[in-house]
Amino acid sequence: MTSPTRLPRVVIADDDADMRMLVGIAVRKAGCELAAVASDGEEAWRAITEQHPDLIVLDVSMPGMSGLEVCRLVKNDPTLSDIPVLLLSAGVSGPSRDAGVAAGADDFMPKPFSPRLLAEKIITLSAGRNRAE
Amino acid sequence: MKSLFAKIGALISVNQPSPLLKHVPTVIALVVAVLVTLFEQNVPVTQPVAFVGSILVGTFSVVLAYAFGRRPVSREWATAVPLAALLAIALLRVGTGGASSLFSSLIILPVIWIAAEEGRRWIAVAGLGTAVAVMMPFMMLGEVPDSQTEWVRGIIAPFVFTVVAAVINEMSRQNRVQFASIHALAEERERSLTDAHEQSDRLHLSGLELRKANELSGSVLDAVTVQAIIGTDLRGMITVWNPGAAAMLGRSADDTIGRTSILDLHREDELESRSRELNYPPGATVLNPGFSALVESARLGIGEIHDWTYRRSDGSEFPVEVAVTPRIDTTGASTGYIFVATDITDSVEVSRLKDEFVGLVSHELRTPLSSILGYLELMKDEDGAPLSATQQLYLGVAERNAHRLLGLVGDLLFTAQAGSGGFPLTVGDVAAGELVTSAVDSARPMAEAAGVRLTAQGASSPLVISGDRGRLGQAVDNLVSNAIKFTPRGGTVRVGLVEPSGRGPLEITISDTGIGIPAAELDQLFTRFFRATTATANAVPGVGLGLVITKAIVQAHGGELDVASVEGDGTVFTMRLPSTPA
Repeated sequence: MTSPTRLPRVVIADDDADMRMLVGIAVRKAGCELAAVASDGEEAWRAITEQHPDLIVLDVSMPGMSGLEVCRLVKNDPTLSDIPVLLLSAGVSGPSRDAGVAAGADDFMPKPFSPRLLAEKIITLSAGRNRAE
Repeated sequence: MKSLFAKIGALISVNQPSPLLKHVPTVIALVVAVLVTLFEQNVPVTQPVAFVGSILVGTFSVVLAYAFGRRPVSREWATAVPLAALLAIALLRVGTGGASSLFSSLIILPVIWIAAEEGRRWIAVAGLGTAVAVMMPFMMLGEVPDSQTEWVRGIIAPFVFTVVAAVINEMSRQNRVQFASIHALAEERERSLTDAHEQSDRLHLSGLELRKANELSGSVLDAVTVQAIIGTDLRGMITVWNPGAAAMLGRSADDTIGRTSILDLHREDELESRSRELNYPPGATVLNPGFSALVESARLGIGEIHDWTYRRSDGSEFPVEVAVTPRIDTTGASTGYIFVATDITDSVEVSRLKDEFVGLVSHELRTPLSSILGYLELMKDEDGAPLSATQQLYLGVAERNAHRLLGLVGDLLFTAQAGSGGFPLTVGDVAAGELVTSAVDSARPMAEAAGVRLTAQGASSPLVISGDRGRLGQAVDNLVSNAIKFTPRGGTVRVGLVEPSGRGPLEITISDTGIGIPAAELDQLFTRFFRATTATANAVPGVGLGLVITKAIVQAHGGELDVASVEGDGTVFTMRLPSTPA
């Protein structure tokens, strides 16, 4: 579906504008393209269903639909379930990581994170997706 | 009048008649005999000396009887009276015709007295006395019996009197035995009566005490207005309902006692869920699973505290903490249960707000810090416009302080979580030796900067701790960095791992040659925000949360954290953790 020359497309969602920008920078540093930037769960879900991106980066705590719920919807939808989901959480790590795993997330990063490390994770996840295809 | 009867009664007491009373028949007989002799010409005085002697001895016997009545003597001594009377009669016989005297039959009277005394020997005394009395005319007058009849009388009469004395003695003995048993019965009855009186008094006192105790427990129950105190029988029917229960549940005692079951206050789903938790063994006879679930521990004699939801009479529900204990009677038998319920609506709300606060702080403080740290890293890594050395230095300071702030936020969150009942642990196998090595390695730059020698011992241990690697590392790191902070330049910090002997816990010790902690402050060391005076006096940075967190982590792993310190010499922290061989 995705040609090797096309950059991997990433949908990101976070309720904090500064964090959205930071994650966006990491995405570009990873050599990917921002398909959509959402500020809450509902907006993220719409963007995902419309864009069918190669990777989704979601903040866990967002007003309305949380990142966990969006992740669950993605993983329960047969047309979307193969898209890797990376969760970011500012909560205390233990339960969020467990909840993320339970929701079907492919990876998890606690906040604060190093943008460099986030970029590396994005590269790994999107490469895995490309290989899968 | 009454006292006269009493006196007469005492005089003729069956138990112990006075000697004078016992002597009355003999005295009357003697007086009659003397009067008859004096005034009846057919009864002549044959020996005036003996006759007068008889009167004198008779009088003496009366005086003796009177004296013994006034000043009691033993019964043996009292027999001197009948013996004297016997002598008087003997003399009377001598004085009134000797062996043929009319008054021989009087001998029987003192003989009765003597024979009635206790003991067989008195039969012999009576017989001997009789023989003397009978034979006296012959002895005094120097005569000998002149006929066969007199000889026979002299022998037969004492013999007959002896037999009579024996009969009287035996009857008296039997009387005495009967009297003794009657007396014993009377005493027994007296004692029973006294006991009955005492028991009645005790019963009365017990009744009073019981009433007081009832009043006291009643007033205590009435005084508890914030908690509901509910008593039930063994099947759950409510039998005690204090004003606190009435206020809390909106039901009066009259409407509840004997009419409502404790189960009516509960939610069925909670009772069912508790029954499932208790997991009654298959086939066990549990007649009433709901009620059994409520009192399971109390039934086994263990008090239990459990959270439930109670329903008011208007149908509204609220959370309660209920302590259940068995009601035991004086024989130790279980008679029911006591439920003490506390409304925990407020504390549940406080707990919810606390959790909300923890979540809020977690998100709202960590998110901006995440941005700050992320953008600081971007600035440092910006390849297009490299920063000057000074700018790099400034950014380093900003980054270090942002990390410090992040650590502080983490510590605050952690203590809040630990205080509200726990924190999550990701449990796995943790190599004890690696825990020590890693703590020492990561603290080495800090130790070198502070000029403190840092050593590790026992780091090659193969033991494994079952626990959260991150949290345990945090605990050891805290103690090592604390030790370095509190040790002056040139000092030493030793991290040691001591393997257990046998099945005991392994020990990780962190000892320093630092400023130490005053002995009086050691108890407060693990209190939130407490800082030792040596720490503040030496301006050692910190907020007083590290040791609280460290202790909470060690305890969450089933271990202990101890401290020993000498001010000016140094401090030793010892972590004891359960371990297994690798």
